[in-house]
Parts: sequence; C-alpha cells; structure tokens
Amino acid sequence: MSETKGILASYEYVDSAVNAIEKLRAGGLKKITAYMPYPEHLIEDALGYDQSPVRVWTLAGGLCGAAGGFAFTAFTSMDWPLVTGGKPILSMPAYVVISFEMMVLFGALSTIIGLFINSRLPYLKPMVVYDPEFSGGRFGVYITAPPERLDEARGILQGQDPVELREDSAGVAHAS
Amino acid sequence: MATATKEPRGAVPHPDLTQLDQVNRDVLKTLGKPGLVWWLMLGLCIAGIGMLGVSWGIQIVQGIGVTGLTSPVGWGVYITTFVFWVGIAHSGTLISAILFLFRAPWRQSIYRAAEAMTVFAVMTAGLFPLIHVGRVWHAYWLIPYPNSRFLWPNFRSPLVWDVFAVTTYFTVSATFFYLGTIPDLAAARDAANGFRKKLYKVISLGWRGTDREWHHFGKAYIFLAALATPLVLSVHSVVSWDFAVSIVPGWHATIFAPYFVAGAIFSGVAMVITLTVPIRKVFGLEAYLTTKHYDAMAKLCLLTSMIVFYAYLSEFFMAWYSGEEVERAAFWARLFGHYWWATWIMLVCNGLVPIMLWFKRVRYSIPALFTISIFVNIGMWFERYVIIVTSLHHEYEPFAWGVYRPSMVEMGIMVGSFAWFGFWFLLFTRLIPVVAIAELKEVIPTPMRGAAPAHAGGEGGEG
Amino acid sequence: MSDGLKRREFLKVLGVSGAGAGMVGCSTESVEKLMPYVVPPEEITPGVATWYASVCGECEAGCGMWVRTREGRVVKVEGNPDHPVSGGALCSRGHSSVQGLYNPDRFTGPMARQNGELQPISWDEAEQRLADGLAAAGQHLTLTGFAGPSMMTLMESFARATGGGVVRFDPLADAPLREAGRIAFGRNVVPWYDIEEAEMLVSFGADFLESWLSPVRDARAFSRMSGVDERGSKGRFVFVGSRLSLTGQNADEWLPIQPGSESLVALAMANVISGAGAGAGPYRDIVNAYTPENVSEATGIPAENIRELAIQFAEGPSLALGPGVAGQHRNATAANLAVAVLNSVAGNVGRTLHYSAPQLNAPAFGYSGVERVMQLIGQGVVGAVMIHGSNPIYALPASSGFRAAFESVPFKVSFASSPDETTALCDLVLPDRHFLESWGDSAVRPGSWAIQQPAMRPVPHFDTRQTGDVLLSVDSLMGQDLGAATFHDHLQSRWQTVAASTGTADFEVFWQEALKSGVVELGGSQTGVAEQLRQPDRALVFDPPDFDGPGDLHLMVYPSSRFGHGSQNTNRPWLLELPDPVSKITWHSWVEMHPDRAAAMGLRNGDMVILSTDNGSVELPVWTYPGIRENVVAVPMGGGHEGAGRFSDGNGVNPLDLLPAESEALSGGLVHFATKVTVTPTGERRALATISGSDVQSNRPITPAVALSALTAEADHAEEEDGNGPLQELQGVGGFVPVETEGRPQDFPLEGAQHGEYGDPETPRWAMTIDLDKCTGCSACVTACQSENNVAWVGESQVTMGRDMGWIRLERYYEAVDASHAGPLDVRFMPMICQHCGNAPCEPVCPVYATYHTPDGINTQVYNRCVGTRYCLNNCPYKVRVYNWYTYTDEEPVREGLGHAPEPMNWAFNPDVTVRENGIMEKCSFCIHRIRGAQDRAAVEGSVIQDGEIIPACQQSCPAEAIVFGNIRDTRSRVAQSVESARVYRVLDELINTQPAVSYLKKVTFHDVESGEH
Repeated sequence: MSETKGILASYEYVDSAVNAIEKLRAGGLKKITAYMPYPEHLIEDALGYDQSPVRVWTLAGGLCGAAGGFAFTAFTSMDWPLVTGGKPILSMPAYVVISFEMMVLFGALSTIIGLFINSRLPYLKPMVVYDPEFSGGRFGVYITAPPERLDEARGILQGQDPVELREDSAGVAHAS
Repeated sequence: MATATKEPRGAVPHPDLTQLDQVNRDVLKTLGKPGLVWWLMLGLCIAGIGMLGVSWGIQIVQGIGVTGLTSPVGWGVYITTFVFWVGIAHSGTLISAILFLFRAPWRQSIYRAAEAMTVFAVMTAGLFPLIHVGRVWHAYWLIPYPNSRFLWPNFRSPLVWDVFAVTTYFTVSATFFYLGTIPDLAAARDAANGFRKKLYKVISLGWRGTDREWHHFGKAYIFLAALATPLVLSVHSVVSWDFAVSIVPGWHATIFAPYFVAGAIFSGVAMVITLTVPIRKVFGLEAYLTTKHYDAMAKLCLLTSMIVFYAYLSEFFMAWYSGEEVERAAFWARLFGHYWWATWIMLVCNGLVPIMLWFKRVRYSIPALFTISIFVNIGMWFERYVIIVTSLHHEYEPFAWGVYRPSMVEMGIMVGSFAWFGFWFLLFTRLIPVVAIAELKEVIPTPMRGAAPAHAGGEGGEG
Repeated sequence: MSDGLKRREFLKVLGVSGAGAGMVGCSTESVEKLMPYVVPPEEITPGVATWYASVCGECEAGCGMWVRTREGRVVKVEGNPDHPVSGGALCSRGHSSVQGLYNPDRFTGPMARQNGELQPISWDEAEQRLADGLAAAGQHLTLTGFAGPSMMTLMESFARATGGGVVRFDPLADAPLREAGRIAFGRNVVPWYDIEEAEMLVSFGADFLESWLSPVRDARAFSRMSGVDERGSKGRFVFVGSRLSLTGQNADEWLPIQPGSESLVALAMANVISGAGAGAGPYRDIVNAYTPENVSEATGIPAENIRELAIQFAEGPSLALGPGVAGQHRNATAANLAVAVLNSVAGNVGRTLHYSAPQLNAPAFGYSGVERVMQLIGQGVVGAVMIHGSNPIYALPASSGFRAAFESVPFKVSFASSPDETTALCDLVLPDRHFLESWGDSAVRPGSWAIQQPAMRPVPHFDTRQTGDVLLSVDSLMGQDLGAATFHDHLQSRWQTVAASTGTADFEVFWQEALKSGVVELGGSQTGVAEQLRQPDRALVFDPPDFDGPGDLHLMVYPSSRFGHGSQNTNRPWLLELPDPVSKITWHSWVEMHPDRAAAMGLRNGDMVILSTDNGSVELPVWTYPGIRENVVAVPMGGGHEGAGRFSDGNGVNPLDLLPAESEALSGGLVHFATKVTVTPTGERRALATISGSDVQSNRPITPAVALSALTAEADHAEEEDGNGPLQELQGVGGFVPVETEGRPQDFPLEGAQHGEYGDPETPRWAMTIDLDKCTGCSACVTACQSENNVAWVGESQVTMGRDMGWIRLERYYEAVDASHAGPLDVRFMPMICQHCGNAPCEPVCPVYATYHTPDGINTQVYNRCVGTRYCLNNCPYKVRVYNWYTYTDEEPVREGLGHAPEPMNWAFNPDVTVRENGIMEKCSFCIHRIRGAQDRAAVEGSVIQDGEIIPACQQSCPAEAIVFGNIRDTRSRVAQSVESARVYRVLDELINTQPAVSYLKKVTFHDVESGEH
C-alpha cells in the first residue's frame, strides 16, 4: 500500500468525538486512535472494545503465588524438621497465611506486567501526534488512511467542527 | 451551548465544577512554588528524622537496654507505634480500593491523599520491627533466603507472617498508588516545562490517554482494587495475630482480627481528616474536598468507633464471664492497675469523644472534625499501648510482675517516626497532584453538545 | 563476646598446667606435684577439666570442695561428696569464692605506706621491713580470724618465737554457747548437733540454715529430717524468735516471742517436761520457777501453746538449737544455758547433740578479747599489730574505739589479700594467697581432717605470698627457726602425726591419697555420752535483758545469709546481686518493719528512714515484712563498706555503727541485740532493687501445698480430678485433627509432632523434679548456676528495673495461716526455672528457630541465632527467659554501673558455655553442655549413661537434696519414680497445657491449707 497519512482532530465535546468515530468506522476507516482526559465509555463503546486480557494475567499470577507460597513453606519445614511448641512439623494452618499473602503479591505484580504489555507502556517515543490539551479537557481522534480516502476522512472529522484539525505525515501515532 | 446532562450516582459532590480543564488548572497549581510554611515544616521534619537517627544510633551502639523495656514487658512503645502506623495505613486502601469497588461517589477527591498516606505509613511502620529487635544487624534472618546451612525462618511465627504481610502490603499499595497517578503525572507533564517536564514525562511512562491505554488501565485498576481489598483485611488481621496467637491474658482473644481491622480504619480515617484539612486550606481545594466528603468520613469514623468500643466492652465482659482468675486479674489491672490512665485515655478518646459525630452540625464543621480526629489519633495510639503493655505487665506469674517506663530514646524514635512520615507526605504534596485529576473528571458533567445517550454515565475504567 | 582469654596468657597458663599444675607460686618455693581428682596433671589436655580436692575457706564450717580447672584455671567449685560437712553441696558464698580468687581489686603485690600512701614494694623488702618492724616493736600481737589448725599453730609458734601473742577474733563469736556448755556440762565447746536424728526441732532464733555454725551440713540434715518420706512421716520444726529468718521461714510453726525471752520459753518447756523441774537436777528450782503461765506474759506466747510444744518436744528424739545471734543479748549465756537445760531434761544430750565431741578449731575470743587488746595497746606495751584473715575496723562497732586504738599502734601490718577498712590504716600489707591458690588444712569434725591444696598457679595479676611462708622466712630473717622452710613443709610435718595415728607406714602414699580424696577419716570420735547437768558455778539471770537506747523498737542486727558478718569477701557481684533469700533485695541494705507498724507511721516499701541509737545513726529504705514482731526492726550485716573494692563500696550501710560496744558479762561475747532505735522518716523514697513482683500467689496454682493429714487422701483424690475428659490436641494431619494425650512428661513428643529423631522411642526425655518440701530457699543453686553458665550480673540499676539475669528465680510467696496459735505466716519457696515445656509457648513464636525442641526434650536456646525480638519472653507464662539488654560481659561496662567482667574476673567464665552479648535471649538449658559431654563420653567409651550420671549445677549444689534430674522415659530412673508421688504437680499446666518437663512436689504442711490452692 502506498504511504498512508494521518489526520488528528481535537474536539471540545464528547459526542462530537463519538459521532466522528462512529461515522469513520461506518465508512470502513478503522485505524483510529482516540485520546481522552479520562476514561470515557461512550468513546470506548464507539470503538467497540471487548474484554481485556489483563484479567488472565491476574488470575495466573494469583494462582502461582498461592501454590508457590504453600509449597515453599511446606518444603522448608520438611527440609529441616524442627519441632516447636509440640506442633506438627507441617503446621498447615500457619502456612495458609503465607500462601495467601503470596497470592496477592504475585497476582498484583503480574497484573501490572499484563497492563504494560497490553497497553504498550511505557511509551517513550517522541509524542508527535499529541496535544497537551488531551490531558486537560479535549478529546482527540486520530485517523490514518490511504491517500485516496484521506479527503473522505477529513470531511467526516471536519463535520463535527473540531477545535483543531491537523495533518501528520508520519502516521506513526497508533500505539500498535 | 454546553449543557450539563450527566448526573453521577448520588448527589453531585462538586456543584461548582463545570469545566474539565479547570480541574487541571486548580489541581496542578498545587505543584507550583512551595511557600515558606512548607519549607518550615520540611525543616522541622528533617530535624525530627535527625532525632530518630541519633536515638537509634545510641540504641544500636549501647544496646537495646537504653529503652525502658524489661522483663516481663518485652514490647512497648516500638511495637505500639508499629501497630499504630500499620493501622493508619489501612484507611487509605479502604478508601481507594474498597470504596472504589462499592462505587462510593465521594472517594475520588480524597483517595489520592489517602493512598499516599497509606504508602508512607507502611514505610514508617516498616522501620519499627527493625528498631525493636535486639540485634538489628541480624534482622535479615527473618527473610527466607538460602543460607549456607539451609536454615529457613519459622513460618509458624506470627512475626514471619508480619514480614510477608507488611512487605506485600507495601508493594501492592505502592503499585496501586503509582498506577493511579500515571494519568495525572501525564497531565502535570503537559502543564509543565523544562526539567519538570522531562521528569514527569519519564515517571508518567509516556502516558497519552489513548483509548487502548485507558481500556487496559481500567481493567488493571479494578483487579488491583479487588486484590487490595482482601489484602487490607488480612494485613491487620495478621498484625492482630501477633498478639492473639500468644497465650498472654489480654492478647489471647478471637475477637482480635476484626477488632484490629475496625480500629485500623477508625484511626486511618481520622488521620485522613487530620491531613487533608490543612491541605484543603493551604491549596484552596475547598471545591474538591467539600464538607460532604468530610461528612462521609465522619460517618465512617462513627461506625468504626462504635465497633471498636463494642470490642472493648466485650473484652471486659469475656474476661469477667470466663471466670478465669488470670484473665480477670489482667483486665482489672487494665482498668485500675498501674496503667489505669492509659486505659481511660483510650476509652474516652475512642469511645466517648466520637459520640459527638452523631450531630450533623459537628460532622459539617471542619474545625470540630479536625479536633475530634486529633483525639482519635491519640486514643488509638494509646489503645495499642494499653493492649501491649498492660497485658504484659500483669500476667500468669505474680512474682514476675513488673512495670515498664518508656525511656527518652523510645520517645525520640516515636516522635521521629511522625517526622519521617511528614517528610514524605510533604514531598508528595509538591510532586504529585493531591487530587486525582482524571478520576475527578468522571464525576463532573460530561461536555455534550446534544442530548446524552441513555447508557452514558458510570465510574472508573470499567468496559 | 570475649571471655578475656588473651592468647599469650592462655599459652602461659597452658604451659604451666602442662608441666603439672603443681607448680605452686613463685619459683623460690618448693615444687609439689598435686594429685588431681580425676586425671594426673601430666595428662591434662585442653578442653578437659581437671578436678582438685580442697577445702572452702569462706567460713569456719570448712566445707570440702572439688575445684574444677580448665587449662590450669579455676572455673568452678563444687562440694566434695566424700566430705562429712559439705556432702557434695556448697552454699552461695562457697561458689562465689571464684570471684574472690579473680577479684580485680586484690592487692597486686606487697605494699608499704610511704608519705601517707600505700606504695608497692618488693617481697624481699617487705619481709625485711616486717622483720625489722617486729624486732623494733618488742611486744606484738596478731589479730586473726578463722585459720586452719596448721596455720593457727604456726602463728602461735611464730608469736612465741618472736615475742608476741595471737588473738583469735570472730565478730560472731560463739563464746556464750561454749560458756553455757561449760557451766552446764563442764565442756567449753560448741556441741555437735545431729539434726538428722531428731524428729522434733526447736530453734530459739538459731539461723542454722544460713549463718549459724555450718549451714550446708545443717541444711542437708534438716531437709532429711523435715522432708516428708514415703511413709508419710515428717519431722516438725518450730521456730521461736521475734523475727523470721530464712531458717524461720522453713519452720512449720512460728512462736513470735518478745525480744530476748528465749530463755523463758526454754525453761517453761523444761518445766513442763521435767514435771515442774523435778527432773532438772541442779536446775530444779530455776526450772520450777518458770511455769508456762508465769512466762506467757513476758514472752507474748499463750501458756497452752508452750505446754503443747513442750509435750511434742518430749515425745520423740528432739533437739533445741540456739539461740543464735538473736540471743546474743546481755543474758546470752543464760539463754544458751536454758536451751542446754531443755535439751538435757528432754534427754537429747548424747542422742541428738554431743558435748563430748569437741571441735578442733581454735576457739575464738569474744569481744572481751578485743577489749584486752585495746587495753594492752592503751598501755603502750604493744609495738606492732598484725591482722590476719579479719577486718576488725569494719567488724567492730564504731563505738568500741578500736579504730583510735589501732591507729595509735606504731607498726600495723595486714596480710589481707584485698583492700578493706583495716588495710587502709596499715603501714605494711603482705597480701596472702587466696585459699584456692594456697596450702592449708581443716579439722571440722572429730575424727575427720581435710587438706586444702592449691588448685592453680597463683593468678599472675597478683604477686602474692602465702602468709605461712612469709612468717617462716621472716622468722629466719629474725634469726629463729621453726623447723620448716615453707608452710608446705610445716603442713606435711603436722600431717606426719595424722598419718601415724592412722597407722599408715608409707607417708607418701597416705599423702597422695589424702590429696586425692581431700579428706581423711581418723575415726575415734566419741559421741553418745549423756552428760549430766552440773551445779551452775556462776550467777545467772534468765529474765529478758533490758534494751537501752531511745525509741520503742528493738534493733536486731543479724548476719546476712549472703555475707555472714560481712566484714570480708563482700566485693563479689555474684553475692551482691544474689537476691536475699528473705527480702529478695539485692545490692543495698534495708530495714525490716512489720507492715502494721510501718502503716502506723505512714511508711511504704522504699521510704527512706533514719535509724538512730545513742551510738550512731544510719539511713535506710524500709522493707515491710510480716515475719517480724511489731516492736522489732532488723537490719542485715555486710553493707556500707568503704575502700573494700569497686563492687561493694557504697552499697547499703553498716548497722554495727548503731550498736554499743559491750561484751556479755559471763562469756565476753559481743552483744548484738541490746538497743532500741528511733525510726525517723526522711520523706525521701528509693526504688528497692528487688526481684519480687508480688508476695502473694493471687489464687494461682503456683506453689500449692498439701496438709500432712490430707496427703494420703490427696492420692485417691488425684484420680478423680481427671474427670474433665481426655486432653485433646490438634496434632493429626498437619494440625487439623485432634489427637488424645494425657499430657504427661513422658508423652513427649506427641503423635503428629513426631518426625525423624523425634519419633525415636530410644531418645530420652530429660526432666527434673524439685521437692518443695525440702527446698529451704537458700539460693545456693542460683549462684551455682550463675558460675556454671556464665550468667552475667547486671548491676543495681538494672535489677531495680527488673532486668536481673538469674536463670533460677527463687520465688518466695506468703500464705496466711490461722494465727490463733502461731505466727501468721506460711512461706512457700519456688525455684522457678525454664520448665522445658513439651508444648513450649516460646518456641513457635520465634521467627528464626532460635529456640526449639531437641529430640531429647530440651527447650533449647541457640544464642548465635537469636535476633532478639523478645516474643518468646512475652509468651513464656513462667517468665523464666532473661534477656541481655546490654552486653554485660565485656571488660568495661557499657554504661556506668552496668555488669561487666574486668580482667581477671573474666577468667572465671566456663569455657563450655557461650558468653552472650547484647540482644540475646537466654534461660536455663538443663546444663545441656553437661548432658552432651556425658553423651560424648559414653559414645567414646561405648558405655550407657547411667541414671544420676548427669547432674545439673543446681542439683549438684543443693544442700537440701531437693532436686532430681534424669531421663523420665527410663522408668527406673529416680526422676521417673519421683513423678509417681501423690504430691507431684506441674505449674500452671492444667491452665495452659504446657506439659512441663519440670515437676514439683508440693510442700507438706502441718496446718490445713485452703482448697483454693488445690
């Protein structure tokens, strides 16, 4: 495909952005990145997200932590059996505490790892296609399209009267 | 024309906020140049930390004997303060995680401060296990590492449970705290320039607020909250088991776990009030921390105070009802023995003073709440002192009964721990937005041109 | 954690011991090969202890001891089982002699006074000076304390040869006792008491368990006599006196008499027994005059009680003792005589006490002897005074004026080995050897002699010479000849005669044997002669003496059970920090006062008061004591030293300053109990350095007792008590499923807890039983343990805080008894040590396994692993864990006044036991190093450890034989059999299911005990 271009529009109102996105998607222009100052579901819905895979990370991490915690405590007390307080060598009730804490710890850490991997963080490339206003009050829609459909896309974005509309030649802004 | 169409669940806590970017302006200005007061307080805290260091140095060089500790009272101010700080930590997680899951509309504007408090309180609490051991240079033996003899820690010991619980708690709450700040750090980055811009760019991990980021962010956040909720309950239960699994009369009680958790939230919320009232004044955040928030926190205080007071009464009742000579003697000594004054401070501050919170006028008066919160902080410190010291000084063996008087070194370290906490908190107020910018925007009207779709609204980053 | 063993020192010492620890003192002296008890010296190997037999020189009792040396250093002393006096036991003072040997304040060499100061000089010069001084002096006197017979004869012959005299002086002279013996039976001796033979014992204030005559021997005899036996019979002991001493606290009954009225009670009893004096021989009229009715008013004891007591006394073999120092009043001889008469009419003479078996130690003059000395000095005929083995400046009341007299003597010499109040005035000091470094002998009982031999080369820090040798060389310097070059020759020449009397041909053989066993039995002591009372040849006054002085409180100054008369050997942390068996106070002095009396004056424990008499005044804290009459206050001796050493200086006060300097008319003994005092509160307070947190048990089953009558019933009752279902423990399946257990010591470890060696039925479980009916509370075990296990002393300030480190906490509880016919007090002793619980609460809470259960059932403490969280201390219901709050074992104290071990005191550390540093928890280990030692020996020899082969330090030194240790899984062992007793119980066990390995046997009382105490 010949070189694609991207257009970035920033809106003041949520529904403007939503409408723009819906129209673009209806038009088959799906390479969209939206910018929001806060998680706005109208936009997420418009982009049609389904479940996030992060939850799998959480579950896996938690289970590993719990199992590992219990295995470790059990192993260490069998490894060098010492009786304290006339209690059994394998004092399971006590070990439950450890394995619980380990479950939480590993669950949390793997959740973070999952988040970073899935949302491509940290993102330390120069922010070409970005507007400081996006962390303030504006909503951004960035679309890349092949040159022949560029005017169509511009038309749709223009239709929701953006505060600003600018073109970028790189088309690198998509996180993916 | 812009029309506010979105009504968050419950009453609107911020009637006078309409503009999204106004939030940025208001909140980010707190990161501006610190005033003289801030510098003075920072200096005070650094001095306090110095005192802590010197006192601890003396103790390490001369020996743990510089404390007032003795037989039979092997634990005193150190463990008291440890439990106090762990308790303080809890309300932070409660407000940020539990209230998040319960969708309490009033949490957004206070949870950031509360979470920061959690992290720093755990950092403070973490000092005390080190301070109180006799041979701190061997303290690392509590950590399970493969040493030359493959001798592992004793996982039956509640102290080892503590090591795991507290470190886990610190890691998770710090992670949770940091995760929540990322979007706001990005906002700070966009508002800043020069070195600060570079700094914020790095610590905000290049957050841009794209749909993808927000989507996974929301998921991760809710799962962390779901993990932090049982964690916060478990940690203070474990701390309470330091006492409950022993056989010391006055410690050995099944009520301890819930009793301690309630007490922790009680003291924690009080501490949130104590901390946020001045912040609100200094940074002029009245629009964000409204009396409605304080009313809500006051109600939480009232509830937990009643739970705690009930626990006190049931302890005394059980001691009497058990008919056990030693148990009875221990609690009699608690009320009328050598440490009677501490017990009565505890009962008055935690049981009687909060009764005033029944009155709406009190709950809506910031000065009154501030005063009460101070009382509660004092009372909750003494609660731990009473539980630990009075139980130990008067147990099974009459001939071995003894009395403990805290020494100057202990006091220095205890006061120093507040300075240590304050130091971090002061830095926090200047480096990280004290109010969650992004999340706050969820509860102020969404800017719409036309009518809102029916499914609009909702909180948090859930899909 | 250094035990101060410098490498060079080590090699030096090792070299010596390798060459034979026999090298006694400096090279100038003859070389003598010592016979170690276990292995001959040439076989000494590092790490293996060598034992020497010797004699304790702490008091006149002369207990035979074994001295344990390692690498040529004395590390511990223990009783010599073959010795008739010690019988293997030793008292706290005996144990502390090690700290006397290594005392850092000993003189480093001979001293002479130059321009007011004592300056070190060489030995040759010192001896020359002595010779010249004596030559110039003309008449000279030697004032000596207790000395063995050979030393005594040497001093006398030296005096004779050089123109002088010897005065044997003892602050607690038994003059009245001997004088009474002379008057009654014509025997000027201390009678030989056979307490064990008696079934009924009455002490008229004689503290025979702590300070009177021979405490260790008497404690053993007493516990055998009064301890309940398997037949359920128990000897009865009644204490007659106005203050309960430690001895009194062991009595089954206490008659709190008016001060000084012992003779009345004794005579009234005699009156009842002898049928109104009919059987009292020449004392008929006297005895006749004192009917119980007549005396009951003056004694404060109802007539029927005296009658009752007399009838019991007449029944079986009985024995009346005393009076001791309590009877040391203006009619002391009469009081002693009254007791002699009582014994006589009860037919005890020749049965339970023997006048016909004289002791061989030279009798001491009473105070009259000192008065004579001062007289001579006053007349200016005495040019020189030599002080040996005594400290008269301290031991004599200030009012005696002895100080002034002594100062006026032109040439004053002392042989004291460490500084004291007397050496401070002397012109020449020739430090004697410590008895553990020197030769000597003692003859403590008819027919038995003991040798005191040096157990180590003299401590190199101190350039000392044995006084005997000094006398001999000075003697030759003065051109005389006493027929011996060294004291050792002198000793041997005397023992030649002993050898001859045994009919041994070869003296060498005899000598070596004697050195090995330490004691020689000659036999031929005649006892069992029932002397008849003689017509008194002196005018006697039996009525209570008059007490002069201001105030209405009688002042009793009594010898401390830790220090005796306390004029010497007080500079020892072990003794200073040993809680007084009665008051449980350490370090400082106190004044005992009845609680009611104190309350009437608005005084509480620790209030400072000023005691003043016509002779002086002292300031003391009050300690309220229900065991003393309301009209009496008591102060222990031994405090208030000046210049006697860094440890003892400035602790407490010297109560002798309050006493009049007066000798009893008939015997010439010093009067101790003669004044009244005024007590004036100063308004000041001080915290008492006591270890007692409470004097009452608060209804806890800690020291329950059982009435003798109920003892048999108790046995059946015990079965029924287990009505509350079998004990269950979560042991099965990792702590989820309950397992039944009886919780007996034998049951350890429980099923489920069994793993590896823990499951092996062959492994022993070490256990201990302590018989509280025998324990006298004497606290010898405390010091023995301290010496054996390197237990640090901590200093007065720490004890006041509650940081005392004793592994054995000898608890003392009061129980109120029906006071209608006796004193109101039932005192219970409880040596509280680590109970080595099967379910030890301390173990599971330790995060680092620093304390855990060994397969052989010991709750062990791994010092090096301990990080010091103190959780185990909190969780120990017995509070027997002690913590090193500072490092108390360095050469320098961490802070002023804290415990430390200055060179060479650190030589006393037991190499078998780790020395602990700051931040470590410690506690009784059942002397695990002894157990492992025995096990190793058995492994090497391929033998099996026999019951009784392993003996912990406490059991070893217990004079009352109250402690039994062994493997409780071995059903034939003594300890296993002892727990079958009906009296057995385990402290707090039924309350918290700790399953202790230490069992106690209940004290047996003659009075009923409330059911509340089980």
